[in-house]
Amino acid sequence: MAVVEINNVFKSYHDTEVEVKAINGVTLSFEKGDFAVIVGPSGSGKTTLLNLVGGLDQPTGGEILIAGHRLSELKPSELIDFRMDHVGFVFQSYNLIPVLTAAENVGFIMNLQKWPKEKRMTRTNELLTSVGLADRHKSRPSQLSGGQQQRIAVARALATHPEFILADEPTANLDSKSAESLLDIMEKLNHEEGMTFIFSTHDVRVMKRAHRVITLEDGKIVSDDVRK
Amino acid sequence: MKDYQLAWKNIWRNKRRTLITAASVFFAVFFALVMRSFQLGAYDRLFKNVIESYSGYLQLQHIDYFDDPNLDNSFEINQALIDQIRKDPNVTDIVTRLESFALAAAGSHTQGVLVLGIDPPGENKVMNIRNKLVKYKITPDAIEKIKNEQVSDHTKKLLDLFKGEAYSGETRLMIDFGISDSDSAEILPLIRRYASFNNAFLTGKETNDVVIGDGLSEYLKANVGDTIVLMGQGYHGTTAAGRYKVKGIVKLSAPDIDNIIVYLPIESARELYAAPAMATSAVISLKSNDDDDILQTGNRLKNMVSDPMTIKTWQELNALMVNQMEADNRSGMIMIGVLYMVIAFGVFGTVLMMMAERRREFGMLVSIGMQKTKLAKVVSLEMLFIGLLGVAAGVAGSLPIVFYGHFHPLRFTGEFARMYEDYGFEPVMPTMLPDTFYLWQIVVVLIILVIAIIFSSRKIFRMNVINAMRA
Repeated sequence: MAVVEINNVFKSYHDTEVEVKAINGVTLSFEKGDFAVIVGPSGSGKTTLLNLVGGLDQPTGGEILIAGHRLSELKPSELIDFRMDHVGFVFQSYNLIPVLTAAENVGFIMNLQKWPKEKRMTRTNELLTSVGLADRHKSRPSQLSGGQQQRIAVARALATHPEFILADEPTANLDSKSAESLLDIMEKLNHEEGMTFIFSTHDVRVMKRAHRVITLEDGKIVSDDVRK
Repeated sequence: MKDYQLAWKNIWRNKRRTLITAASVFFAVFFALVMRSFQLGAYDRLFKNVIESYSGYLQLQHIDYFDDPNLDNSFEINQALIDQIRKDPNVTDIVTRLESFALAAAGSHTQGVLVLGIDPPGENKVMNIRNKLVKYKITPDAIEKIKNEQVSDHTKKLLDLFKGEAYSGETRLMIDFGISDSDSAEILPLIRRYASFNNAFLTGKETNDVVIGDGLSEYLKANVGDTIVLMGQGYHGTTAAGRYKVKGIVKLSAPDIDNIIVYLPIESARELYAAPAMATSAVISLKSNDDDDILQTGNRLKNMVSDPMTIKTWQELNALMVNQMEADNRSGMIMIGVLYMVIAFGVFGTVLMMMAERRREFGMLVSIGMQKTKLAKVVSLEMLFIGLLGVAAGVAGSLPIVFYGHFHPLRFTGEFARMYEDYGFEPVMPTMLPDTFYLWQIVVVLIILVIAIIFSSRKIFRMNVINAMRA
């Protein structure tokens, strides 16, 4: 079953007098349990495609369906709620909330969704354990290493059982040990829970572990290799 | 986690900036409140001095007397009207006066004076003039005698500084001389022994006695027992002239009046001005001197009297002073306005920095599912917390000064005090206790905060998430 369907999507920018086609007629779908990587040189449209799939940006043509919902039909405030309920985000620079503890960061989206406190705490503990940071639940982001912060970010993204997780260059700021450890966790979640991961990366370590590698160039898909 | 908890945590992420912003609000509120309290306290004192030593809160007058204050615009006492006014629930008493101007002479000194014919027992009830009689006078002779006793060098210096000063009570004297409660047992007996001033107030039975202001007494060099001559124009152009003995000297807290006032029994004044049974005004004393009560009582009494009589309120009677104070009040408000402009820039500086610094975080929060309205609410609460911290600290900081200043007013001494008196002000600066002006300062800060909140909220609602994430 397709979690994400991208049908002939275009995205152009008119920042200068010249029209820049960041995404140029992409048609693609992601199935539940995918561990897919979008690769390509800088400016190929990887991040733009991820933003479109995440509902952070609107295509100038074509349509995107997520779990059967047509994103173009949603109002801006509905899109925000949609992202909260269906999409998990992992960013390159972690983007944790500095004033909150690790546990509070993990529980942040559950808090937005008004989960009861007990249920929220149980899920938080479960996630912190699964990313190996149960003992650091009271630590602030500034007290954690980059790898640990990114693991907390993964736990936050997983908290409310999203349809899939979008990870934009998640290992770019990590040393190799931390990057491997993070990928181990993601892979495990993919295997054990069937969580769908869509990465955008330049990192060969991520590419090696991916089951599917989609190559973009000039906003077009030039290859889509499935390795399962 | 509740929104206010997140906002509270957020304001402490940059402690120094939060404290600096809250401190700017604190200083503005603190200085505005203290300044305003001194300013309003000084007005209140000035008005009270003039009202309680001369004009009263309400007066019954001939309709033309206020614009043309001469004896031809006096009126004959209508006892039925006086009795009717006395029946008003807020009126405690009403005393008649015959007031005019004259030239006073004593020896080779002359001075234009305000002659106030009064009913002494009634006037004492209404204006409490008897308590303003001079009790101590720091004459050169008294200074010499006190200096010969065991007193500190500081007190000796002060004796010279306050040479010629008159006091109607010991409180002001103790403050001027810096006499503490513990020292008073030693020094006050000396002052009582050597500087006591013997005089008396009018009883109403005298025919040739007057009581004069201390300032006038100094100018005319007329002391108790001395004779002064009054000359002027009487009722319907007659000549008024009379010779009077000074029975007492009063120290009025309004220097403008103290320097020219001559009290004599109303019957003597009627005889002097050839105006039998006439009065120029009747001062009405009130139970409640609250502004609203004065206004309401004035309106009730205005309905009672008919042409050619009218009721004047203290604001109308002291219109010039009210206008001067109003002008001064505005200049004070401009000062406070400048102060608030400064904090407005401070608050906006913080908002701008905070918005720029956390742009990426705001973008991330919206991207993971936080509605912009919720984000704007959290940021607004942050602004509100910082502002309210400053306001609360400013109010709390000002209260001890305002309360202390009200019960222990700042008193100027020496040359500065003389300068104040030369301008017609009592050299005392009390503060006004917290009133609506406190609420206004809080409202002004809240308005600044609301503008800052609107600005930050607008920025959040217009934020493009992708651009914000790239910041």
